[in-house]
Amino acid sequence: MPAAIQTTVDRLDKPSAYYIGRNKKRKYGRDRDDDDVGRERTPEEPEDPLKDAATLYVGNLSFYTTEEQIHELFAKCGEIKRLVMGLDRFHKTPCGFCFVEYYNHQDALDCMKYIGGTKLDERIIRTDLDPGFQEGRQYGRGKSGGQVRDEYRGEYDPGRGGYGRAIAEERQKEEEEYGKGR
Amino acid sequence: MADYDRRTGASRGGYNNRKRRYRDDDDYDRRPQRRRFEEPLHLKIRKQLLSVAESPLKRTDEEINSIAKLVVDNYEDTEIRNQSLDLAVQLVIEQPLKIPFIAAIVLVINPTKPEVVQEILVKAGAAIKEHLEAGAWREVKLLLRFLGCLQGLLEGDGVFPILKELFSRAVDLQTASSEDSLGLELVKIILLTLPYVMASSATEFEAQALALLDKTDIIASTPHALEALVNPYPGNDEDDAQEPQSIIALLQRQLQGESQQAWKLACIPRPWNVAKKEEDGMEVPAAATKHALPQIHIPSPVVPGPRLRLPEIYFSVYADQEIETVPSTADIASSILRDSLVDTINILDFNRNATAKFLIDLDCYFAADTFVKRATQFDKLRHVDEGRSTWKPEDVAVDAVFSQLLQLPSSEHKLVYYHSVLTEACKVAPAAIAPSLGRAIRWLYKNVDQMDLELVYRFEDWFSHHLSNFGFTWKWTEWVDDVQLPMVHPKKAFMVGSLEKEIRLSFAARIRGTLPEPYQPLISEAKEKDTPDFKYNSDQMRYSEPAKEILRLLRAKAPDADIQLPLTNIEETARSLGVADPLIPSTDAYVTTICYLGSKSLSHALSQIERCKDRLLSIGTQSEPARRQIITSVMEYWQEKPGVGVNMVDKLLNYTILTPISVVMWALGDQLGKGQGLVHSHIFEMVSSTVTKVTNRVRQIVMARNAAGLPADQVAILDETLTKEREEMGKLFAIIEDALVGVAGASVDDMAESADQDLKGEAMLRGWGARWLRVFRRKMAVEEAWVQEMLEQGAQAQAQAQAQAEAMEGVDGSGIGGPDRNGDTNGGANGGEMRDAELDDIL
Repeated sequence: MPAAIQTTVDRLDKPSAYYIGRNKKRKYGRDRDDDDVGRERTPEEPEDPLKDAATLYVGNLSFYTTEEQIHELFAKCGEIKRLVMGLDRFHKTPCGFCFVEYYNHQDALDCMKYIGGTKLDERIIRTDLDPGFQEGRQYGRGKSGGQVRDEYRGEYDPGRGGYGRAIAEERQKEEEEYGKGR
Repeated sequence: MADYDRRTGASRGGYNNRKRRYRDDDDYDRRPQRRRFEEPLHLKIRKQLLSVAESPLKRTDEEINSIAKLVVDNYEDTEIRNQSLDLAVQLVIEQPLKIPFIAAIVLVINPTKPEVVQEILVKAGAAIKEHLEAGAWREVKLLLRFLGCLQGLLEGDGVFPILKELFSRAVDLQTASSEDSLGLELVKIILLTLPYVMASSATEFEAQALALLDKTDIIASTPHALEALVNPYPGNDEDDAQEPQSIIALLQRQLQGESQQAWKLACIPRPWNVAKKEEDGMEVPAAATKHALPQIHIPSPVVPGPRLRLPEIYFSVYADQEIETVPSTADIASSILRDSLVDTINILDFNRNATAKFLIDLDCYFAADTFVKRATQFDKLRHVDEGRSTWKPEDVAVDAVFSQLLQLPSSEHKLVYYHSVLTEACKVAPAAIAPSLGRAIRWLYKNVDQMDLELVYRFEDWFSHHLSNFGFTWKWTEWVDDVQLPMVHPKKAFMVGSLEKEIRLSFAARIRGTLPEPYQPLISEAKEKDTPDFKYNSDQMRYSEPAKEILRLLRAKAPDADIQLPLTNIEETARSLGVADPLIPSTDAYVTTICYLGSKSLSHALSQIERCKDRLLSIGTQSEPARRQIITSVMEYWQEKPGVGVNMVDKLLNYTILTPISVVMWALGDQLGKGQGLVHSHIFEMVSSTVTKVTNRVRQIVMARNAAGLPADQVAILDETLTKEREEMGKLFAIIEDALVGVAGASVDDMAESADQDLKGEAMLRGWGARWLRVFRRKMAVEEAWVQEMLEQGAQAQAQAQAQAEAMEGVDGSGIGGPDRNGDTNGGANGGEMRDAELDDIL
């Protein structure tokens, strides 16, 4: 029998390249205070903080999507323990991401498999396993308070406040010259 | 060209064309450099093996020969050989549609390198043994199918001895119990192996096959006692019930038919024939080596496996169309196609994209001419030549998914998995899949009043979720006539329920926009309001002054003691007005205020409840009617968005502010009316999720007590809890039963009074009662059966462990009594306590 069984097709319930990449980086420059080990976790498994993860990061939400909508969709994978909306650091309004915490690890994995990459409120959402919510993580880390990706986004996205904020500022300045809109 | 240039020119001056500007600066070629090395051999073999038969563009026989050659050429490299053989066996288990092709590779290898074949047989044998011991019957079936395809290179009778042994185990099981389903499963495995054996390169096994088929007949053809329980189309009355078609009985009949047609088995691919012809050029040893099967012992008694088994019913959403788009149940192809597809779907739940790809490429894995060309329009099927197939591959695929989504009593995976497979398939090949889905939806809708109610709600849930992935577009105009129907009509109830679910995933104004004019009244203006009004703001409302005071205090986060004053105020007024239970109006004011303050979002509601938890908890202990008033107030506040209300009730159950019994009494007592309460999908949702909470808890306890290595005293504690909880569960089901029997038998007092007014509506309500009743009776039967079976398994395991321990130490460990079969000793504690923490304590 092969030792590590690799399935004949990839599994969708693995952490994303983003998560893995971010953790690698952290090994070198320890610039963050939050180590990825969840608060209520037993200390014997620091090697894989996602082993029992029941929390998901959910991204690419519309700013207008409500908790109820998220609950409605995500409850299809199991009972939800807690739902934390991502908020703009300054305005305290939804900024397009959230954390969904289930009671069971398996529910979170199922959610990766069955819900990640499908639509909510007519947008394709992204899910990623997460070692657990910690206070402070509900706020956007972008310069203007939202998510970083909404700073420099060049495409107009009506569900996420139009153009990226930095870009929008630049646009504002050029507004007179070029007229309104594209 | 000019047009193109102008466009790029213009955008150069536009905003944020970072990519383009960047490219301007590029003055060197950035094309990816060509790979300089040959792919390592082991990867090459792996890749080819993994993708065998996948592409309609490649010739499968060439692929098979090329892989066979690679394996033979690299026979000396142990690592490569081992890896590819392991992978081949793994493919058999994980991608069942490819089994015949893997078998063909082995058959091609055999003449030149029989050693490889011997090795793979050993590996397959070991895998069968492992899965037999785990009771993983699907895997056993697939491995046997693989061996069945190899029958031509097996010594003697090949797989027949194994099939016979399986049969004798099935007989043992069937004689032991008339309700046995595991024996049926074994017979099903035999019957599904046979066609592959008969389609294999082996000849002259007709007599043996027929003999086996004669033997299985009694078991396969006898209707199972529990079939009626899982009939997807029980009908509304006794007379329009559809006869459930048991999968295994169908199989038996189809195979008997096939045996009379020289085992044509037209749909099974025979890649070994084609690949062999190709071989002609090469030197073929006159007689290829035959191999003995490795010893496979089937344990007795067999291991049941973790899933509760009930008889399986054949389900199709494309029955009785004017042109056959899926094989009829008379044709063995219906079973063979369905079985491979269902396994593929259920095995690959970890990658729905792969599942969807298999569904769409379905025609690659069966004999040519089994299907019409992909995405052939239904109308074009009329022009298909006489005698040629009219089966649409996408219909067969969609049918298989629905058979799993709508399987009773439960599906193997979470229902949302099957949603996601359909969504994905629709995304990959919309032109092919979407029309098939459309016809499936129409058929289901047409039969909505005959379908099992649980399935209606699964359909509703899928339908709304599916539409939410595709811009909420559906041809509502088709059903426009049904808008006029009264709410008690199952079709109207389905429409209203679906729209409600769509709104829950989106918002009212959006959904309104997708509907034609006649549907507009179904979505009231009030639904578009974000937060419902606080009813006490109106001075017309009784108790409005104290209620407003409660609002002010709660908003100011005043201490709980302060809130008693306005509440007492309400109670005193109520008492002076002659209200029997003054706690009811005060509870109404209190809970309505909490709802209003928590109306902004779920989190707001939860933190508000958290803050008021103690007082809410104490209401229930003082008065049951007041406890149910909590539900009334919540559902009344959220009447325009009942989904939110149901969710609140669910959370209140978790806090044990409500009890399961109070919820059921509310829904099927206070709110029942003459049965009108039963037509709302959110009421079903509320009752059903409450029941599920209770049954899950019982299951958790059973699992905990069955956990290996638990000390006897802990088992005893768990058994005691289990007895209590089962009793509680029984009580809950009894209440449901009583209420529903009342509606179904029309003995509700109110109903009798209005007997001659609206007979039709009354008959419909009776139908609702009966449909609800079926669902919850089944739930009860399934839960009891599950607990029973698990306790028996647990007792067996325990006895074994004990015997082992005794044998090892020679010490008597007599302390452990048998598990409690029937809990009727303890006086019932009122209401199952739902908190997880409590269960944790027990553990």
